[in-house]
Amino acid sequence: MKIFPFLAFAGGIFALSHQTAFANDDKTALIEEGRYLAAASDCAACHSIKNKPEYSGGVSFTLPIGIIHSTNITPDVEHGIGKYTEAEFGRALREGIRQDGSTLYPAMPYPSYARLTDHDVHALYAYFHEGVSAAAIPTPENGIRWPFSMRWPLMFWRWAFSPAPAKAQEKTLHEFADAQMARGAYLVEGPAHCGACHSPRGLTMQEKALTASDGTSYLAGGAMIDGWIPTSLRQENRTGLGRWSEQDIVDFLKTGRNMQGESFGAMTSAIVHGTQHLTESDLHAMAKYLRALQPFDQTQPNWVYDPTATNALHKADVSARGAKLYVDNCAACHRTDGKGYPPVFPPLAGNPVVMGKDPASLVHVVQAGATLPKTEAAPSAFTMPDFMHRMNDQQVADVVTFIRHAWGNNASAVSAEDVAKLRKAMPPRNMADGDISLN
Amino acid sequence: MPPKEPTLTRPLRRSFVKGLLGSTSFWMVSGHSHWAEALAQEAQKPYQPTFFTPEEYRFVEAATERLFPQDQHGPGARGLGVAEFIDRQMESPYGHGDNWYMSAPFVQGPANLGYQLPFVPRDLYQKGIAGLEAYTRQQHGKSFADLRAPAQEQILTALEGGSVSLGDIPGRVFFEQLRTNTMEGAFADPLYGGNKGLGGWLMLGFPGARADFMDWVNQDGEAYPFGPISISGETA
Amino acid sequence: MTKKHADAIVVGAGWAGSILAKELTEAGLSVIMLERGSERATAVEGAYPESIDELRGAIRKRLFQNLSQTTVTVRNTIDQTALPYRQLAAFLPGEGVGGAGLHWSGVHFRVSPEDLRLRSSVVERYGEKFIPEGMNLQDYGVTYAELEPFFDKAEKVFGTSGEAYKVNGKIVGNGNIFDGDRSDNFPLPVMKDTFTASTFRAAATEAGYHPYSLPAANASRQYTNPYGCQMGPCNFCGYCSGYDCYLYSKASPNVNVLPALRQDPRFTLISDAHVLRVDLDDTRAKATGVAYLETKTQKEISLSADLVILSAFQFHNVHLMLLSGIGKPYDPVSNTGTTGRNFVYQTITSSRIWLPSSKYTNQFIGAGGVGVAIDDFNSMNFDHGPLGFVGGSPVWVNQAGVKPIAAAIGTGGGGTPRWGSAYKGALIDTYKHSIGVDAHGSNMAYRDVYLDLDPTWKDAYGQPLLRMTFTWKDNDIRMNQYVVSKIEPIARAMGATKANLVHLNAGQPFDTRHYQTTHLGGGAIMGTDPKTSALNRYLQSWDVSNVFVIGSNAFPQGMGYNPTGMVAALAYWAAYHIRTTYLKSPGPLVQA
Repeated sequence: MKIFPFLAFAGGIFALSHQTAFANDDKTALIEEGRYLAAASDCAACHSIKNKPEYSGGVSFTLPIGIIHSTNITPDVEHGIGKYTEAEFGRALREGIRQDGSTLYPAMPYPSYARLTDHDVHALYAYFHEGVSAAAIPTPENGIRWPFSMRWPLMFWRWAFSPAPAKAQEKTLHEFADAQMARGAYLVEGPAHCGACHSPRGLTMQEKALTASDGTSYLAGGAMIDGWIPTSLRQENRTGLGRWSEQDIVDFLKTGRNMQGESFGAMTSAIVHGTQHLTESDLHAMAKYLRALQPFDQTQPNWVYDPTATNALHKADVSARGAKLYVDNCAACHRTDGKGYPPVFPPLAGNPVVMGKDPASLVHVVQAGATLPKTEAAPSAFTMPDFMHRMNDQQVADVVTFIRHAWGNNASAVSAEDVAKLRKAMPPRNMADGDISLN
Repeated sequence: MPPKEPTLTRPLRRSFVKGLLGSTSFWMVSGHSHWAEALAQEAQKPYQPTFFTPEEYRFVEAATERLFPQDQHGPGARGLGVAEFIDRQMESPYGHGDNWYMSAPFVQGPANLGYQLPFVPRDLYQKGIAGLEAYTRQQHGKSFADLRAPAQEQILTALEGGSVSLGDIPGRVFFEQLRTNTMEGAFADPLYGGNKGLGGWLMLGFPGARADFMDWVNQDGEAYPFGPISISGETA
Repeated sequence: MTKKHADAIVVGAGWAGSILAKELTEAGLSVIMLERGSERATAVEGAYPESIDELRGAIRKRLFQNLSQTTVTVRNTIDQTALPYRQLAAFLPGEGVGGAGLHWSGVHFRVSPEDLRLRSSVVERYGEKFIPEGMNLQDYGVTYAELEPFFDKAEKVFGTSGEAYKVNGKIVGNGNIFDGDRSDNFPLPVMKDTFTASTFRAAATEAGYHPYSLPAANASRQYTNPYGCQMGPCNFCGYCSGYDCYLYSKASPNVNVLPALRQDPRFTLISDAHVLRVDLDDTRAKATGVAYLETKTQKEISLSADLVILSAFQFHNVHLMLLSGIGKPYDPVSNTGTTGRNFVYQTITSSRIWLPSSKYTNQFIGAGGVGVAIDDFNSMNFDHGPLGFVGGSPVWVNQAGVKPIAAAIGTGGGGTPRWGSAYKGALIDTYKHSIGVDAHGSNMAYRDVYLDLDPTWKDAYGQPLLRMTFTWKDNDIRMNQYVVSKIEPIARAMGATKANLVHLNAGQPFDTRHYQTTHLGGGAIMGTDPKTSALNRYLQSWDVSNVFVIGSNAFPQGMGYNPTGMVAALAYWAAYHIRTTYLKSPGPLVQA
């Protein structure tokens, strides 16, 4: 008789420990799922600084309303989100409401995160509380001017434009019969928050459309961010993704480069922290969804390669405006035929960035240079030097005009005054932060 | 201390290029944003040597012009700024022999075992010029720069042939140093103070820093069609 | 304080070191790679257009060893006093991450199969007596068939452009008919011929020879290698040898291996770390780690490791072995000992051919690895019987991009003016209308040509310099003269108006003042007999079995080909046997 309770006890322990192990496996899987979602949501791009603990915040953003800083989202109780319950966490994420009831600046893309499912919020909560190490680092004071230094007016902003999470989820999940398309829509409109940069914004900075169903302005190209113009991700033939294949989009998100173009500016960080970590199947879903977005601008004639400029350069005829500068500075990598050497050096012929109405990105790449993101699948971080010291404003205007005119690009000319103005708004030069590509 | 090339922790191109020119003040003081304009502005001022004394500089100008004279083929050392180039180089790490092995003992041996003197380029010039000026005064009663071309050529021929000793320095060693630096000054990128107006490159048909021949790999014996461009973007 | 430990320490961040580090991290080992020089970044130092700078590159020798810290001494014969090599000239070892693999030109050969068994081959064909007195002619102890998969792997990593002759026994193209069989084609198509190369090709064919395109690790188009590392396409800018390629199109450890390797958390690269010695235990048969000097702080640091890979430049490997007491130093008098034995070079002379002034040779257009060659007088491809020498030379036009300062310094001499107006005219004519043709030949090993420690001069760290005893021998001079004589009919067929055929002369000693080649070899050679080789056929030290020594130091003879392809293949070969055999059961892979 004595042996029974002992056995029962032992059995109890066994069952208990077994259960614990099981729970741990589940928990580990949930945390891993959260880690994946955090990458898909590109949290690190804004909340992590190199050489500081992961997700400890402090990244500063210069917005029209002033300078703001990203917050510490590690589980630190004092400086981070350690005290947030899952419900509070979800509210911040999806509705932009902090634990104390005040409103987050919409630099935090909660209008997009509103689409996150409860399950995904659950996974993210698990990850940010148990998968990330706490870091006791205070968030810097925001240098924001009055009246915007008061947070309450943003409440109205939020009420007006932020969709209620349930409604938002419904919208994304229900519009697609095809499961892959639905998954793509969820990722693009939700966690990946592509629209935060690539959708045009209204007067109070709200995105004009938050989903494909809100109209064709969704992802039709955004306003300048840090000197870069986010292009349209819709199907415009010249200035959108009209000529990118599904594989082109997947390659771009995975490696920052494809046969059509290369990443620069803020997108590089989105790829490094975010999209490169996504599965092939999720990337294909996103690509498929993007390829289904009808053009916003229905008037664009198809781009057709025009060999006139190429033929002239091959005959050493450099009489066109900017042609000699192109030969002297650009052709080494981008070729006299403008086709570049993709995916290593991008084509300029037919490149949406080149043909955009606003030449800011093109001018800024010439002035500041660019470094390709180093990703797991493509570790070579090719670097274009800056040409600001080799070319003056007039020369930059001339060479950019040549690039915008040649090979069928047929985009408008750029003046020295435009270039001078852009020089003042120039993003930091390549590697100016000391982050040197060592490839 | 010789100026060092910027390291990887300071990658900004301005400080990088500053190191190249060999002038420590140029880029910092002038604050130029555009290389070619800055260099052109610099070129307008008459060059003031910083390493050589005015007498030494006169010698370098005269001797390099004899080695690389202005003629039917094009500009000579004087027109190309070779003396300026050499003066700037003497202030660079090279002038200080920064990557030469300079540990004692210094034992002289057969010529084919290479340079064995305890002198870096700055020493070679100072001692070499002093020695050659003394030799010239002894032979001709005046300074090298004041001699007529044939007499200068005669002295340089003797120097090259090894029949002149310049105190601590074999004449031939000094001659080779001078000849090498002259050719460098005639044909290096203008960033270093020589090859003014890309005159050296124009003579040879060398296209400079464009560095792209994808369309011109094999033209079946035709000349390459474009003129030269320098690192700063100067063209000719 | 406990020493920092790594499963493996790799000394030197060039091709051999990067390949071994990649292979060993793939095998799961933690690897620390130590590099004497500093980090190198194409994006900074190699950036367009600043890198297009002959003065900073090839003339001031930015990427090469800083002799002020350490150099070698050189003498021609045993009875001379060796003197320090004070200025870079005859040979140019690299320094900094990438090593010689960053400043090389890109000629990416395999090996002539017979060169791997040169002693056997010569004895079979001409008899033992054919070998001159005092020549230490030896086999490598490895066959072409054994190395073939590793040549193939290296080409795929390097992104090598070329035209094959035979793949799996089938003739597939207009490649080198003397090549060994290949298991696969080159990963990239052949590079275009420059005008001078196509002129040479036509003329060599007319003269009855068998021209082929040099295999080039200059990418003929954009390329992604098996490590995911990418290369740009070569546009013939000509800034290869002595430069880091701004277009990322010349293969280098920096472009082709390190971007992937640096992502591996098991890998650590420490630059500005000058290795002083390999530490051995009391038995002197096992290495316990290495000691290095942090050059920026002058602090000496010891690391412990289970495996030590020496993959520095050829003579630095030998120097480290001598300083560490690995193997018995070679004694030329008794012809015993192995460390320092069979020090070899290459026998190279450059000739010049002038075309009519209506033809522009545009010598500035080129690529380091590109050109057209003939192998009709290389290796065992011709009958040495009546000639009475061992070895041979490829002959080629390898227009690597002739730049103005080098052309100006090199013009004149040999009875023609070296300065003045006539010189200027000759320089312009030569630059615009001439073609260089090289005989790039073998160099045999001799009993009294070797490496040891210098008794007098020391480096900046207080260690004795390495001493080279080297000069040209009759066999190699006659080989060179014979091969150069074969250029004349080609020159005629090229339509030369003038030719200056340059060869070595009897009694002419090795001259350290003029660049010849950086293809130094031997000194710690591989072989089958521990009495005559420092390393076994897997490049493992016979004496200290957890030390592998990778590099051209393993070559028993200097071959006619550029060595990098062979070094890379030997690196993959050694790595393969470390991974498949050694790591499972550490110890000698061959019983002495």
